[in-house]
Amino acid sequence: MSVTAFLTDSTLCIGCKACEVACKEWNGISEDGLDWSGFSYDNTEAVGASTWRHVKFVEEAPLPGFGGNAAEHNSWSFSSDVCKHCEQAGCLEACPTGSIVRTEFGGVFIQPDICNGCGYCVTACPFGVVERDQKDGRAFKCTFCYDRQKVGLQPACAKACPTESIKFGEIEDLRREAQSRVEELHRRGMDDAAIYDPLDTSVEGTHAFFIVRGDPRTYNLPPAPEVPTTYLKKSWRSSAIAAGLLLGGTLVAFLSDGNRSDGRGR
Amino acid sequence: MSDLLRLRDMDVGDPRREQRLEDIRREAERRGKLQVVSTRLAGAPFPQASPDTGYYGIPLLKQPPWTWEIPLYFFVGGAAGAAAVIGAIADYTGADRELVQHARWIAAAGSVISPALLIADLGRPERFLAMLRVFKPQSPMSVGVWTLLGFSSGAAAAAFAGFLSDRYGPSLPVKVLENAGQAASMLFGLPFSNYTGVLIGATAIPVWNHNAGYLPLHFAASGLGAAVGILELMGHRKSRALQALGLGAAIFESWQGLRIESRSHDHLDPLKHGPSGLITRTGGVLSGPLPTLLRVASLFGGERRSSKLRKWASWSAIAGSLITRFAWVHAGHVSARDWRLPLKDRSPAHQQLQGSH
Amino acid sequence: MPGLGTSFGRGGATTAQQDLSNADAILIMGSSMAENHPVGFQWVMEAREKGATIIHVDPRFTRTSAMADIWVPLRAGSDIIFLGALVHYVLENSREFRDYVVSYTNASTILRKDFRDTEDLDGFFSGWNAEKEKYDPESWLYEGAPKKDSSKAPGHSEIGGGHGKDRGGEAQDAGKYESDPTLQHPRCVFQVLKRHFERYTPEMVERYCGVPQDVFLKAAEAFTSASGPAKTAAICYAVGWTQHSKGVQIIRTAAILQLLLGNIGRPGGGILALRGHASIQGSTDIPTLYDILPGYLPMPFFETDSHKLKAYFKKHSARTGLWSGFDKYFISLMKAYYGDGATKDNHWGFHWLPRVTGDHSHFGYWLDMADGKLDGLFVMGQNPAVGASNGRLERKALSKLKWLVVRDMVETETASFWYASPEVERGELSPETIGTEIFLFPAAGTAEKEGTFTNTQRLLQYREKAVDPPGDARSETWFMYHLGARLKRKATNDPRPRNEGLRALTWNYSTHGKHAEPSAEEVLKEINGYHVASRQQLTHIKDLQNDGSTACGAWIYCGVFPKADYNRALERKSKDLLGHGWGFAWPNDCRIIYNRASARPDGQPWSERKKLVWWDPEKKEWTGLDNADYEKTTSPDTPENVRQGHGTEALGGARPFTLHPDGLGWLYVPSGLKDGPLPTHYEPLESLVENPLYTQQTNPAANRKKRPDNPYAAPHDARFPFILTTYRLTEHHTAGGMSRHLSHLSELQPELFTEVSPELAAELGLQHGDWATIMTPRSVIEARVMVTTRMRPLRINGRTVHQVGLPYHWGYGGQVKGDVVNDLLVISEEPNVRIMETKALVCNIVPGPRPRKREARDRLNSYEGQHA
Ligand SMILES: Nc1nc2c(c(=O)[nH]1)N[C@H]1C(S)=C(S)[C@@H](COP(=O)(O)OP(=O)(O)OC[C@H]3O[C@@H](n4cnc5c(=O)[nH]c(N)nc54)[C@H](O)[C@@H]3O)O[C@H]1N2
Ligand SMILES: Nc1nc2c(c(=O)[nH]1)N[C@H]1C(S)=C(S)[C@@H](COP(=O)(O)OP(=O)(O)OC[C@H]3O[C@@H](n4cnc5c(=O)[nH]c(N)nc54)[C@H](O)[C@@H]3O)O[C@H]1N2
Ligand code: SF4
Ligand code: SF4
Ligand code: SF4
Ligand code: SF4
Ligand code: SF4
Ligand SMILES: [Mo]
Repeated sequence: MSVTAFLTDSTLCIGCKACEVACKEWNGISEDGLDWSGFSYDNTEAVGASTWRHVKFVEEAPLPGFGGNAAEHNSWSFSSDVCKHCEQAGCLEACPTGSIVRTEFGGVFIQPDICNGCGYCVTACPFGVVERDQKDGRAFKCTFCYDRQKVGLQPACAKACPTESIKFGEIEDLRREAQSRVEELHRRGMDDAAIYDPLDTSVEGTHAFFIVRGDPRTYNLPPAPEVPTTYLKKSWRSSAIAAGLLLGGTLVAFLSDGNRSDGRGR
Repeated sequence: MSDLLRLRDMDVGDPRREQRLEDIRREAERRGKLQVVSTRLAGAPFPQASPDTGYYGIPLLKQPPWTWEIPLYFFVGGAAGAAAVIGAIADYTGADRELVQHARWIAAAGSVISPALLIADLGRPERFLAMLRVFKPQSPMSVGVWTLLGFSSGAAAAAFAGFLSDRYGPSLPVKVLENAGQAASMLFGLPFSNYTGVLIGATAIPVWNHNAGYLPLHFAASGLGAAVGILELMGHRKSRALQALGLGAAIFESWQGLRIESRSHDHLDPLKHGPSGLITRTGGVLSGPLPTLLRVASLFGGERRSSKLRKWASWSAIAGSLITRFAWVHAGHVSARDWRLPLKDRSPAHQQLQGSH
Repeated sequence: MPGLGTSFGRGGATTAQQDLSNADAILIMGSSMAENHPVGFQWVMEAREKGATIIHVDPRFTRTSAMADIWVPLRAGSDIIFLGALVHYVLENSREFRDYVVSYTNASTILRKDFRDTEDLDGFFSGWNAEKEKYDPESWLYEGAPKKDSSKAPGHSEIGGGHGKDRGGEAQDAGKYESDPTLQHPRCVFQVLKRHFERYTPEMVERYCGVPQDVFLKAAEAFTSASGPAKTAAICYAVGWTQHSKGVQIIRTAAILQLLLGNIGRPGGGILALRGHASIQGSTDIPTLYDILPGYLPMPFFETDSHKLKAYFKKHSARTGLWSGFDKYFISLMKAYYGDGATKDNHWGFHWLPRVTGDHSHFGYWLDMADGKLDGLFVMGQNPAVGASNGRLERKALSKLKWLVVRDMVETETASFWYASPEVERGELSPETIGTEIFLFPAAGTAEKEGTFTNTQRLLQYREKAVDPPGDARSETWFMYHLGARLKRKATNDPRPRNEGLRALTWNYSTHGKHAEPSAEEVLKEINGYHVASRQQLTHIKDLQNDGSTACGAWIYCGVFPKADYNRALERKSKDLLGHGWGFAWPNDCRIIYNRASARPDGQPWSERKKLVWWDPEKKEWTGLDNADYEKTTSPDTPENVRQGHGTEALGGARPFTLHPDGLGWLYVPSGLKDGPLPTHYEPLESLVENPLYTQQTNPAANRKKRPDNPYAAPHDARFPFILTTYRLTEHHTAGGMSRHLSHLSELQPELFTEVSPELAAELGLQHGDWATIMTPRSVIEARVMVTTRMRPLRINGRTVHQVGLPYHWGYGGQVKGDVVNDLLVISEEPNVRIMETKALVCNIVPGPRPRKREARDRLNSYEGQHA
């Protein structure tokens, strides 16, 4: 049983959305709304309860007016987003029911029969992935195709990708592959290509890392995501102090109250 | 439709058109952006992705899915928890029985309403049971649920047993139950009154986790103020102890209000600006400065005046506490919608480290 | 596809998509391959990753452009200038692959003295007949080649379409020609070519395509330098080229370029025609067209040389090359149709075949319909109410029918026009007054029935049924078979001679299942062909006979079902890159056709790097990485004898283009094309720009189908100052029947939008996200505005020209609705394939929603009056 991961290489993505649709088909996800966004060719806008794979259309505006006949001035890159399956997963840590578990493949999986829809995971995801379904009431996100991996199939999205922009495999292999790919891209003059995998943050890396060109923030990839458990210590300390103050305060208040035993108005 | 029917004389190569286009080009080259009539989104005639705008300004984080039940639950829990502590201490320090019993009833009421609110949020009762599958120390919600459980049973037992012994006179088993319940309700009541601060503090929502270190204190004070207020409204407006506690809570709340107002971090914006800011400030004034003034004023002058002022102070504190909880949850929504925050180069954690805590 | 057909012999892509990964450069033009052939595009990406240069020439910056190394924005409709300039660049800088050109093309062939070029006659070739508005192409023939055909316009039937065109055998005995191997003779094709493209210069490209010279030169250098003995470059195109009033000639220019560079029949080279629907190649091989029979055999026309079978044979067969077997192919087809009913004495039932009496192409009969000349219509697997130009006319025509049958998986706009169309909204049609009786039959989808697809690379793939069709849905085979059976029953009870053919028709496929589904495998077996006596399956085209001893439904598919229990289309085990072992590619499972050209005349590869098929002296046969598209045992040194010889033998050992009588690739097409032997730039039928080369503005042979309800914008019509182009989105499929009814696709592109440049938006006050109204003389529609720098104004001849883009997938049915873009388009016919011009028109665009109801109607009527 190997620990697996996604390497999504935006430099190979043609924006065909096959991954997005394959995911919806395989998992029988409901419609995401029929509204036109005006955000380039992206009308589903973000991963959420009804979109587990989402293709971003990053249209960076070159100087308008240059139009004319200057072929250079344009940049349109595509990137397929998904649950990051964090090494330190906020959603998993936060889930009070133990519905969210780490699978044998290293993925982060919501057991739909256990999830009670408390929605706490939603507030705990630093990537804004998991979401509570309005109608159903439970939380949903990418399952890392646990069902398919169980029977030795690769995830539907990776399977559908025609250009191998979504690579699926052993996490260590993919990490190495990502490295060499980026080096190659640099050799080919794309020195702005980089791996996005927040290893140096409290998230401690993901099982779904990306190769993007330019600033990751352009793709809504947070530069410094933190797993919320990092705030626990500080919070509980403050909670303890509060409790202490309350206890002590009340005690002092009553002890110092001379006529406490008949302090009642009539 | 008029301009539709108007035949535009725009033979290609019309010199006026050429001129206009040249201007547009030059402007674009000079400024790198267009600001002519038709252009809408700031800096560009169309949405654009960039490091500063993020991905078309689409929020990176998801908003908390919670509606009115949860902030109300925060309020009830805070008041009930504090009430339980007051009741117990009052009893141990031999304060008069009615105050103790009233405090117990408040706690008991909270112990019933709280789970009800949680269930209302989940939709179906059986869903609440899933909470009891596990105990996860690293999940504030899990810890909270078990605390609630301990508190509820304790508070209920204490109040019920107290009622029995008042009604039919003391008996050993009842006494045991009463003391055990009271002890439990106090022990659990201490965290129960403020854990909700941890609950929202330890999340990915910037405005919450940037205040993770002090939300529990704030919520505890707010709960205490509310508990005292309720007790005083039940008639205990002569108790100096309550007066002291109410004053303490109000002063603490005033101080934390100043604290927020004095610091400027854009992650605090939702607490100051816009509707969420207004609500927060209202809640702040009602739970801090106002009750402080009223209570100080109540220290002077005759009994009736004092009692009147304390009554108002109580109402103010209760309202303040309630509004404050709604304000924080609302601020959480606003904060989650603000796509700029998570794109900040340095993480909240870092900022906290050298933040003024 | 006469563009490829006349140049190389076969109307099909010359290579396989996998082979693109072998290319050193790929020119994608007139196609947005990444968007419309995403799966095939993986091999373009592979090539790019291996270091190939990808060039995309497109008016818009598309998902394909985003993947390309060089994007060249050009003015819609100016392709021949651009490609002509590439040809000019090759000839100017002697970049042609000499040995290839000399040995494998008709560059050395000498033309007749009376031939005149468009350069001499200001936009016309010699032979133009002004009042008939068509060419008499006799002067186009080869010097010395005896004119074969009796009729006045050899190779050009008076009536009928271009698919049944002269495939080289009709006009002349093309084997008998004079030539000058030194390519010096002033009238040899090579020199004519040089003169013809003299004026197609980088300057011309800059001024009239809007492509700056440095960008053009960069592209030209990249493409030409990636060609030669050790390198190859490929070209991919689709309907961005075909759907022009000169589409075939655009493709011809590409063919000339590839022949000059020696890129045909070689790995990593070729021209990949990216076909449309999953089996659209199949539906030209086994045609759903009115003017050809299976295997590109022409339908007999209603004219003298089709009265007798002998005349028909004489006209269409060639002395040399594969078309010398014309009679074998035809008689075998008749045997497949009529079985024992087809005998030598009744001319194999030739007279039972209907004769083509006029233009019965889509627009031909649709205009008849509009004029009330049609009673009934079957519409199967098509949605013309949305997909066809001038939707208003198309839909109004439907209301003139007595009955209409629509077989589809959903209720298409074609089926719902009577209550939901804009004409109803505008009060031009009303359900009460429409007399048409409409039958909507539920059709089985691809997964719900068995049969073959023939895909873009001539690959037959048989698939089995995955699930039963729901409810009353039935397959096409079921519908056709049972309809046919009923007709035959009627015919047997009706002794009139007109029914003889129907009675003789073999219609004995076995059926299975509770709905009596006919066996698709049996149909494929019949298409493959069999020995009539022994009922043994045919194994190879060579087995075909002209004595009625063989039956074959489509000669080109021969070999797909070589044994009774061996269906090669069903195979799914790829053995190599080209995919041998997966399906069956016609002809003879050749994945790259004309591949004899991948070896030098002496039979050895041009280079180790680009070897494909070569002569094995030991085994005395052609071997290599693909099946030889050549007589397997004909050695390279076999001398040719095209002047006297017969059949393919006459071609000898070094003539790769075996369907042509001379075995050569045709830089110059002496007969078969209705609008000229060489490609020439003409402006689109509606254009903002004056033809920079000739006073003749547009393709003279194109048919405008001009009539009051099909009005054109006048030249320089001030009302329509912008260029309009239409195209596809990955997220939808054509007229939307297969996508707008599915939420998972609809949500991806929920609304019709129009793409405009920031400059145009600024100029007209178009707001991103707001509504805009787009107008042509045909109609007025509205769309959401998408302002994007992917669209950009071009400098054309010192003026700024704006292009407005519209995807055409929306209609008034389905989960996501939108105006029908095709209502804006005009019905027009390219002369050879009679396709409409969808890619380059003129329009106006203004902010705000469109007029509705009465207002809209009056507006359209006002247009109808004043058409140019
Ligand atoms: N997802 C998807 N795939 C499809 C289809 C679909 O509807 N959806 N349809 C299928 C069918 S039926 C077909 S025929 C093919 C068509 O495949 P394509 O031909 O690729 O389809 P289009 O998008 O119509 O046109 C391609 C490009 O031509 C450009 N263009 C417009 N005018 C000109 C011009 O004058 N010159 C040049 N050089 N380019 C021009 C357009 O901007 C567009 O980018 O796709 C097939 N595949
Ligand atoms: N403006 C503009 N117009 C264009 C084009 C353009 O580029 N621009 N492109 C042109 C081109 S290339 C094409 S191919 C046409 C396409 O135009 P159409 O072919 O008219 O449009 P489709 O939506 O492809 O119609 C196919 C129909 O067949 C149905 N169908 C699918 N499978 C089956 C089946 O197995 N059996 C039956 N009975 N029905 C089935 C589908 O539901 C769909 O409704 O559009 C043309 N029109
Ligand atoms: S990305 Fe969010 S949802 Fe996915 S594993 Fe990490 S924390 Fe959980
Ligand atoms: S919503 Fe479901 S998955 Fe999320 S935290 Fe609550 S129980 Fe766990
Ligand atoms: S792994 Fe499975 S569930 Fe996750 S995005 Fe891919 S297809 Fe969807
Ligand atoms: S399938 Fe692959 S290429 Fe297509 S959008 Fe998804 S990642 Fe990109
Ligand atoms: S739909 Fe079929 S033909 Fe079109 S790209 Fe996908 S696989 Fe190829
Ligand atoms: Mo097509």
